[in-house]
Amino acid sequence: MTSVSKKAWVPWAFLTPYLVLTAIFFVYPFLNSIWLAFHQTNGPKSSIYVGLSNFDFVLQDPLFYTSVKNTTIYAVVSVLFQLPLSLGLAMLLNSGKSRIRNVFRLILFSPHLVGQIFVGILFAVIFTPRYGLFNIGLQELIGWGLEERWLANPNLVMPALIIVSMWLYVGFNMIYFLAALQNVDEGLMDAAKVDGANRFQTFWNVTLPQIKPVAIFVVVMSTIGSYQLFELPYALLGGAGPNNSGLTIVGYLYSTAFESGDLGTGAAIGWLLALIIFVISTLQIKIAKVE
Amino acid sequence: MNFPFGKAALLLLQIAIVTGGIHLYTSLDRQSERPDLVMAIFAPNHEEAYREVLGEFEKKHGVKVQLQLVSAKALQSRLQSSLLTGAEVPDLVELMAGSLGYFARGPLEDVGFVDLTERLHQEKLYSKMVESRYSLWSSRNRIFALPHDVHPVALCYRRDLIQDLKIDVNALKTWAEFEKMGRNITTDLDGDGNPDRYALDMPLSSNWAINLLLLQQDQQLFNEEGKVVFDTETTAKTIAWYVQQTQGKNRIAYEAGWGQGLAKAMNDGLVLFYFCPDWRSKQFEMDMPNLDGKLGLIPLPAWKLGDRRTSTWGGTGLAITKACKKQDLAWELAKFLYLNDEDLGKRFRATNIIPPVKSSWNTPAIKEERRFYGGQSVGQIYSDLAKETPPQYVSPYTNLAGTKITEVYLDAVDYFQESGPQGLEASILSNLKEKADYVRTVLGRNVFLVKSEAKP
Repeated sequence: MTSVSKKAWVPWAFLTPYLVLTAIFFVYPFLNSIWLAFHQTNGPKSSIYVGLSNFDFVLQDPLFYTSVKNTTIYAVVSVLFQLPLSLGLAMLLNSGKSRIRNVFRLILFSPHLVGQIFVGILFAVIFTPRYGLFNIGLQELIGWGLEERWLANPNLVMPALIIVSMWLYVGFNMIYFLAALQNVDEGLMDAAKVDGANRFQTFWNVTLPQIKPVAIFVVVMSTIGSYQLFELPYALLGGAGPNNSGLTIVGYLYSTAFESGDLGTGAAIGWLLALIIFVISTLQIKIAKVE
Repeated sequence: MNFPFGKAALLLLQIAIVTGGIHLYTSLDRQSERPDLVMAIFAPNHEEAYREVLGEFEKKHGVKVQLQLVSAKALQSRLQSSLLTGAEVPDLVELMAGSLGYFARGPLEDVGFVDLTERLHQEKLYSKMVESRYSLWSSRNRIFALPHDVHPVALCYRRDLIQDLKIDVNALKTWAEFEKMGRNITTDLDGDGNPDRYALDMPLSSNWAINLLLLQQDQQLFNEEGKVVFDTETTAKTIAWYVQQTQGKNRIAYEAGWGQGLAKAMNDGLVLFYFCPDWRSKQFEMDMPNLDGKLGLIPLPAWKLGDRRTSTWGGTGLAITKACKKQDLAWELAKFLYLNDEDLGKRFRATNIIPPVKSSWNTPAIKEERRFYGGQSVGQIYSDLAKETPPQYVSPYTNLAGTKITEVYLDAVDYFQESGPQGLEASILSNLKEKADYVRTVLGRNVFLVKSEAKP
């Protein structure tokens, strides 16, 4: 090592670009969002301190509770339906031949590559009443659904969102589970078989405990992702959907901050969302550890 | 070369120097080529039309004008962000209907656009245009953009199928008469339980059609002073009527939607009548060439015999930003693009959009008959309707009020499905009052707007 590299300023010099960018794009917006949450603004010139008024308004606004309800339904159903499906697919692929496994892995993962906006636009066509692929398929299969308005009927909007998100994310989460399954100790599996364990017992007592850290990670990340849902309903419904049936918390934030121009209230919603995610994630991790 | 911090750091340094140099060179180059005016627009057909005539303006004034085409949503959000942060903005910008509300949510002096009111009056331009159109571009009686269009609404219909059904469209003078005709023709032709022919295209989850039906009756969401005024009996009656046309076994309407669904519904004859502002008549021409000669246009039926037979839907306005350093030149460009009768006539041929400049309605291009609409003069029909187009006032909370109207409609649908028409109107009115109060609460929280209203 040369004497130059031993100088104390050298590491700081290398870190400076990172620190500057972090300060501009993370620390400053972070601090500014705290300031904003307690102000009303109209451009950089005009701002007024309003105390807790922004939080007070949000907590009394029925739209906030609608958005929390919608997002929570979406998050719960996502975790309950998507993740078992992802795990099931991962187990199927894990037991197949490696060449077929790679092909299916690509097929199942590929919806995730196209992005939420594209998928939203695509499914808006698929769900078209009378002419859409999904409606025609349902009519052919079960004799119902040709005229159903998945994106215009408040009762069908959430099921439509969940169907689309399953198509998008089941393959993505499957990759995590597949990676975890490939690391399950074969010796333990063999030992269980020798001890007379059936397939379910092997899965429950050997496989599941070994993939538990990955499962916790996927559950927490899926929950956080679900609470941050925005682009998909925005592209699919063009906004909050009929009767706000597709309004998510981030959608509510966007509409308040950027459509009505109330950045202060938008910041307050952002902080409440951060709090919700923090509480739920902490609970999930604690429950998983206790178990 | 022996760089003291290793090869990786040397490579990073080299990349930084090269990219920094390129960035510096291109920005200097861009600055030296900076045009005198930058104009941002969102409609591709406007771009084509403006490019054709911009050369003449540049030659006449010895200046350079740059036209930037940006998608509508991107233009709106970038303009919002730039005006909020004081970043660079175009000198002139075409705004979409309703968007002024956002920019005028604070005191008038904070609006990022030049107030054009005095110029319009001083140059005697105010009365040259359809005066109701200034409403879209005004806040607290100050005008911030020049209207590009009028967008009167007519009904477009499948001429061939209507003739086969022996319906006299000229007899459809009121909505009551239209409704009666609609009940007769809405039928399940193949006996599968689903009607295969409907009278009218009406959306089931958005408010544009309710809004234009309200405007037809001069029922605004906000009045000229920006106050919430939609919780009225007129609104309740209109929504109750709308519910009964779109729901239940006696419905006459179907939501044809947009794009492929709409094209299929029109081609199949699933729906026979469509709300059709001037701009949409061109869309039909372009998207459905196979319907050549098979469509027709009639004025909207009136709510009462002798009342207004049109409404308005959409709009564009040209604003000059306060950051523009050559505001007089920008104003000259605005007048050049928006007030020349001959150019407006030519532009009508390409867009079917009736200009707000009344003198331009006499140009031959606007009087032409169109084969696509069975030989009707599209320009004549729309310019006749343009004279009675209602005003449409905007507020920063227009979108919010619009979503509340949709909510009231959907609640009314639930009520109608459970209890029928009995008490429907009263239930809608009470719901409207609740929703209007919510909008008033949100509006009341805007300290800047409230403060500026309080000024004498």
